[in-house]
Amino acid sequence: MVATRLPRVGVVKLASCDGCQLTLLDLEDELLAIGQRFDIVEFPEATSRRSMGPYDVLLVEGSVSTPEQAEQIVDLRARTKRLVTIGACATAGGIQALRNWSNEPEWRASVYPRPEEVESLATSTPIAEHVTVDAELRGCPIDPHQLLELLTALRIGRRPQLPDEAVCAECKRLGRICVLVAGGTACLGPVTQVGCGALCPAYLRGCYACFGPRDAANTNSLAGWLARDRTEAEVDRLFAGFTGYAPAFREASRRAVEAMQPAARRRRTKGKAT
Amino acid sequence: MVTAAGTAFLPRERLDALLDLLREGGRTVIGPTVRDGMPVLGEIATVADLPAGWRDEQSPGRYRLSDGHGDRVFDIVNGQMSWKQFTFPPRQKVGEMNRFAVDGSISFQPSAPDPPRLAFLGVRACELAALGIHDRVLAGGTFVDEDYRARRDAALVVAVQCTRSASGCFCTSMGTGPEVRTGHDLVLTELDDGFVVDAGSPAGERLLARLPGRLATPGEEAAASAAVAATRAAIGDPVATDGLRDRLMDQLDSPRWGQVADRCLACTNCTMVCPTCFCTSTSISSDLGGAVNVTERGWDSCFNPGFARVAGGNFRPKREDRYRQWLTHKFATWIDQFGTSGCVGCGRCVTWCPVGIDVREELAAIAPPALPAERPFIRPAAATPGRFEITTLRASHPETPDTATLTLVPTEPVLLAGLPGQFVMVDMPGFPAFPISVSRYAHDHLLLTVRGAGPATAALLNTPVGGQVGLRGPLGTGWPIDRALGRDVVIVAGGIGLAPLRPVVDALLADRGRFGKILLAYGARTPADRLFTGELTAWTDRGVEVLQIVDRSGPGWAGRVGVVTNLLDHRDFASRPTVAFVCGPERMMQATTSVLRDAGVSRERLFVSLERHMQCGIGLCGHCQMGPFFVCRDGPVFTLTELGALFTREGV
Repeated sequence: MVATRLPRVGVVKLASCDGCQLTLLDLEDELLAIGQRFDIVEFPEATSRRSMGPYDVLLVEGSVSTPEQAEQIVDLRARTKRLVTIGACATAGGIQALRNWSNEPEWRASVYPRPEEVESLATSTPIAEHVTVDAELRGCPIDPHQLLELLTALRIGRRPQLPDEAVCAECKRLGRICVLVAGGTACLGPVTQVGCGALCPAYLRGCYACFGPRDAANTNSLAGWLARDRTEAEVDRLFAGFTGYAPAFREASRRAVEAMQPAARRRRTKGKAT
Repeated sequence: MVTAAGTAFLPRERLDALLDLLREGGRTVIGPTVRDGMPVLGEIATVADLPAGWRDEQSPGRYRLSDGHGDRVFDIVNGQMSWKQFTFPPRQKVGEMNRFAVDGSISFQPSAPDPPRLAFLGVRACELAALGIHDRVLAGGTFVDEDYRARRDAALVVAVQCTRSASGCFCTSMGTGPEVRTGHDLVLTELDDGFVVDAGSPAGERLLARLPGRLATPGEEAAASAAVAATRAAIGDPVATDGLRDRLMDQLDSPRWGQVADRCLACTNCTMVCPTCFCTSTSISSDLGGAVNVTERGWDSCFNPGFARVAGGNFRPKREDRYRQWLTHKFATWIDQFGTSGCVGCGRCVTWCPVGIDVREELAAIAPPALPAERPFIRPAAATPGRFEITTLRASHPETPDTATLTLVPTEPVLLAGLPGQFVMVDMPGFPAFPISVSRYAHDHLLLTVRGAGPATAALLNTPVGGQVGLRGPLGTGWPIDRALGRDVVIVAGGIGLAPLRPVVDALLADRGRFGKILLAYGARTPADRLFTGELTAWTDRGVEVLQIVDRSGPGWAGRVGVVTNLLDHRDFASRPTVAFVCGPERMMQATTSVLRDAGVSRERLFVSLERHMQCGIGLCGHCQMGPFFVCRDGPVFTLTELGALFTREGV
């Protein structure tokens, strides 16, 4: 076989907790093989080696939360062949996107003693709202098997197998009994993209959608069904979670808020229209 | 089935002997058990692993288990997962494909079948039928799934006849149960003190011959047959299957596909829990160099967006395309391919749908039978015109200036066994008989709420306490409370129309937990014309949203003024399956059903009660004929779907 240059891989982060990048280090049995087949030129969690690119593959963790990050991601994109977003922050805005529903100057003043020194955008947004994204790995954090599959597919040159099906399918294949139907537990599994291995239902907990909505998720129907035994505020809280800013969940949350009593709606929106 | 060994009886305390026999040769016994409070099929190591005293309660989108119901071990009708998980595993290694680094040559190693030796204990008739369908689909054609065939050949099958049913069951319609007929080695029927046991195969006969116990008595055999017959009666015949294939394939453009797709989550649950769905996809896991590639086959579903996708696009891009694909394959094109329906009527897709979509209802809506299905008919106490049962008036309670509720005590108990919405024919000396709806059933009396609209009703209202009145009934169809299980209910009444609806409220409140939200919208001419005013408040306290409106205000009225449809303004019933029961003047029902339709209640879940001139009450005199119906016999309760263009049309 002809020796070729190894693909140059970078791992960077914007507003996030670093948990998704660490998933790469969790692939302990594969690390050696990964190191042999990829040239990891930038990965601050693992190496002090720094690079300004160019990158064949750039794994981007985190959301765009500051003016500086908004510029940084455009710059990174220009030096990257394939940009892959990893995790709920990068793909949906993350838990910090909860601030997108609130009054930014107000909470900034309530949290920081000298708010004028904090540089922050009013919203936390996914990378795809700023630059073109070639592939994404969902989850909070991402799943190590999906990460390995992505790297393998990149290396072999095939399309990564990242199924767009509901968590339900995985639950049933694992023989787990539905917590929603048999337990009455609120579960977003039917509208959530699989990838986690149906982790929460295995512990008799409902899925809280850290992998975000499936393509064309029918949140309207599920929200209506859940609202039979719950208040609209509870339904809103279900959808407005780790991936609550993803359009399908944002819409479900908006509908729930609209259906609330006026007082509850004011508390929820803190004076800002949803 | 008579065997050489004959029908045996296995006392309950010797069930362990059956387990021992099944375990011979190193078999593992798999059967129903309860883990973490959930119903599963798992290893039965001892009799104690069987779910003694546990029962299931099912409705669309809801499943609950409870224990403490005696000693029986096969009272859970079914659970989420079928036996398919053992004969056709959810994930299965298909083979390996490797490339050698040295010369780039490749090799294949297909996986060889290596079936576990299992004994299935507690397989229901519908599940046997499902295994039979898989035998055809996976092992009955030109190409055979070797792994499936090996697993089937290696398994013993001990069936259990159903002595209970769940709300989702429709094996009777699909012709698969509840009686166990074929496909088993042994079959048990559970009685209180043990099991009636029969063999269904040579292997079963050999087991039966070695089973301790004795021959079953004729009494035990009769009790077993009676229990299964009672299950059949309880299930009824919920799906009209005559010509279903053609009816369904004629409806590829039905607007209903889009409507059900609005509710469908495309979550694949129905297909995963279906005992006959067999679609799979393969996935490859490779090492980073692509040298070692393991291919695995896993359950997939036609509901997944990628299932029919090719490089250039998707053959079934919309959710409604995929719902139609599933339903038409299961009930129509499966017959073309494999000679049988793909559905066995186990009801799992109904119960385990997270939003309670009921396939029986979708079939009836999309491909209704050509003629109205024969309704179950409860033969009244006195079905002959002219023969009435005597009742005694115990009390008369004025409701409004012209209306009173009469308490009538019958000697014939069948008068008390009616359904909400049924009526009785009232006869008094000197007057022609006339129909009155029952406004409540109690343990020893029934209530009739009567408005003095003419001479006969005036005479009835003037009957003294202690006086006698002749009644015949209950007659006609009632409000189908079972259609409201697990659903929201909207009740809309106009004026005296609340009287036939009161037994609906009674029935819903008697089993409150099994229904969703209940809304009662009541309109009357004036505040003084309202019926049951004391009870309206009590219903509110018990979880019914009661809204009231009057045409004209009156003394002390601080409520709303207007027509009853005003109470339904800005309501949205589209997002939750909702059943509506409407009764009142025909014009009011016309306006109300129109508003409810716009708010998202579908026609087959919209029930109205019609008034017509009735004399005999049993469809013989011809007075109440309307299109294909005799309203007294085929109604008075109809769905809008049944009535079609006849509803509110003048002059028919």
